[in-house]
Amino acid sequence: MSRDKILQRLKKNAPASGSLPVYAAKTDLLSKELLLSSFKENLAVSGGKWIELDRREDISSAISENYPMVADVTKQDVWEEYSPSCSKEKLASLDTLMIEGQVGVAENGAIWLDESNFPNRLSPFIAKNLIIVLDIARITNNMHEAYQQIKMEDTGFGVFISGPSKTADIEQSLVYGAHGPVSLLVVLIRMTSL
Amino acid sequence: MKQHSDKALQFLKDEPRADWHDQTLWIVRQKRDKAARSVADWEKLRHQASQVKDHVLSNLDQYLIQFEKQAVANGAIVHWAEDADEFNHIILDIIKDKSASRVVKSKSMLTEECGLNPFLEKNGVEIVDTDLGERIIQFRKEAPSHIVLPAIHLKKEEIGELFHEKLGTEEGNSDPTYLTSAARAHLREKFLSAEIALTGANFAVAETGTVVVCTNEGNADMGVHSARVQVHCMGIEKIIPRTQDLGVFTRLLARNAIGQPITTYTSHYRKPKPGGEMHIVIVDNGRSARLGNATYRNSLKCIRCGGCMNTCPVFRRSGGHSYGYVIPGPIGAILAPCTDIKKHKDLPFASSLCGSCSNVCPVEIDITNQLYRWRQEISEKKLFPPLKRYVLKVAGFAFSKGSIYDFSGKMARLALRILPRAIVYHRINTWGWERELPAVPSESFKEWYKKNSQKEGGQK
Repeated sequence: MSRDKILQRLKKNAPASGSLPVYAAKTDLLSKELLLSSFKENLAVSGGKWIELDRREDISSAISENYPMVADVTKQDVWEEYSPSCSKEKLASLDTLMIEGQVGVAENGAIWLDESNFPNRLSPFIAKNLIIVLDIARITNNMHEAYQQIKMEDTGFGVFISGPSKTADIEQSLVYGAHGPVSLLVVLIRMTSL
Repeated sequence: MKQHSDKALQFLKDEPRADWHDQTLWIVRQKRDKAARSVADWEKLRHQASQVKDHVLSNLDQYLIQFEKQAVANGAIVHWAEDADEFNHIILDIIKDKSASRVVKSKSMLTEECGLNPFLEKNGVEIVDTDLGERIIQFRKEAPSHIVLPAIHLKKEEIGELFHEKLGTEEGNSDPTYLTSAARAHLREKFLSAEIALTGANFAVAETGTVVVCTNEGNADMGVHSARVQVHCMGIEKIIPRTQDLGVFTRLLARNAIGQPITTYTSHYRKPKPGGEMHIVIVDNGRSARLGNATYRNSLKCIRCGGCMNTCPVFRRSGGHSYGYVIPGPIGAILAPCTDIKKHKDLPFASSLCGSCSNVCPVEIDITNQLYRWRQEISEKKLFPPLKRYVLKVAGFAFSKGSIYDFSGKMARLALRILPRAIVYHRINTWGWERELPAVPSESFKEWYKKNSQKEGGQK
């Protein structure tokens, strides 16, 4: 069997072992305000936009003008409408999807989400516009800290998203909307005072 | 067979294109520098990444067993392939088993290495590459010329013409936004009808059985979540032990590849979707044997960022196709002779040994040293062309005897001064084809040093 042959060869050919690195629990002690400004800056680099609100209740009035067709899956009935059994065609016609993000990363503007945040795995990748709601207090410094907060063993699928879908495969010209979202809006909420 | 230098010469004939290629990749290199400098502990990160990879190579059998166990517990089906042929058949069997005919694939250098596309096509399966650059070269029936920027050898006018022919876009329109939106519509249809989606793997985490794939386009996710069956293809060396190690690699990869702080999507696949099926194919294809070779085993640490290509003065001025191997550039010049030393004996010489590749490598592979070692091995195995072998023999003799070296230096200086140009720039002097020799000095450095060190009372 190939499996055993491969494993045997690997065992036979393995060089002497060194140890794994030990990572510092916290890399830098940055103020929450600094993390927020760094997050915004890096999100903009990746082509994402942001708005900042004090209260969750203000979201719909803040986005209704630009995103009149929003499917807000933080609402139970909308969540059910886009359950895993819903058709691909229905998903393909999704204009705007609004979902909740879990962890923001200041050093690169990325946000961690997993399948507890969207009703259907395809939905955040196929919607024409994506809106992610993020609690400002959940912004961490870098990827090391982000991975410390993620419970990988609890999920079947998770993803960091840092902007709209993009490509530069034609002469290095940057184009947004290669396949999925042509835009990403992050709604930053100050749920707790910093 | 044509050598790298012959094909490079061909590439350089189109001077504006060669210049564009050179400058564009240099811009990517500069973006990489800027991104790297934005991370305070960049060198520490490189070192940690190297440490993780070294540790993994020493315990790869154990980590693969752990990975398999976790993946199976997650509900994935794990396959093992000894070589390209077995890999291709595993994929074909999965496709046949589902009676599927519509297959999409996101970027995977492993499938290029194994020749999966031509194999499936021969067996009547249509497979669609969904990365825009890869779709372009698939239409052109070409290989990628760069592992991260597969269509970097093409100009937008050529792509405009290609899309006019294949996708019915307007004739003469080569606007990148217009062409990308045409590809979007074309590929959207392929995604929605796909029955099976293949991906490569950037990392595979042993402790959780997770496959991590990084893209900017989101094409891996469009395929994986749209098709019922997802298949992830990985070389055995993609393993990393822990989720926390991902922190190191996701900080390095996109910064070093294209100067972005992270790719748009960093996807972590663990379990099949509801009602879906998830396969993971683990491929050896010569890797475990290479692990036993102390000289070149370091190349197994490569995370395929392409950084060494963007910085390489030879790659930038010769193009990826001139290497004649699936992975071009400095790292490819190490990997290729591992597979067939006779066929790829020219590649370790496609380098100036300037060391830039080793300096940018995010996992601290000593690329330059390995290229140098390959040159020695190729020389020892007498794989040089006869003329080069003869010239090196003569040079080796002269360099080893001080008096003969001094004498030949004197003769050469004299000869270059008095001989007619037609004799010096002879066909045999390949170096002189595209270059002018520097002005001949009146004395050797040794003579100059003797005179001047005495004059200034320095030590002899």
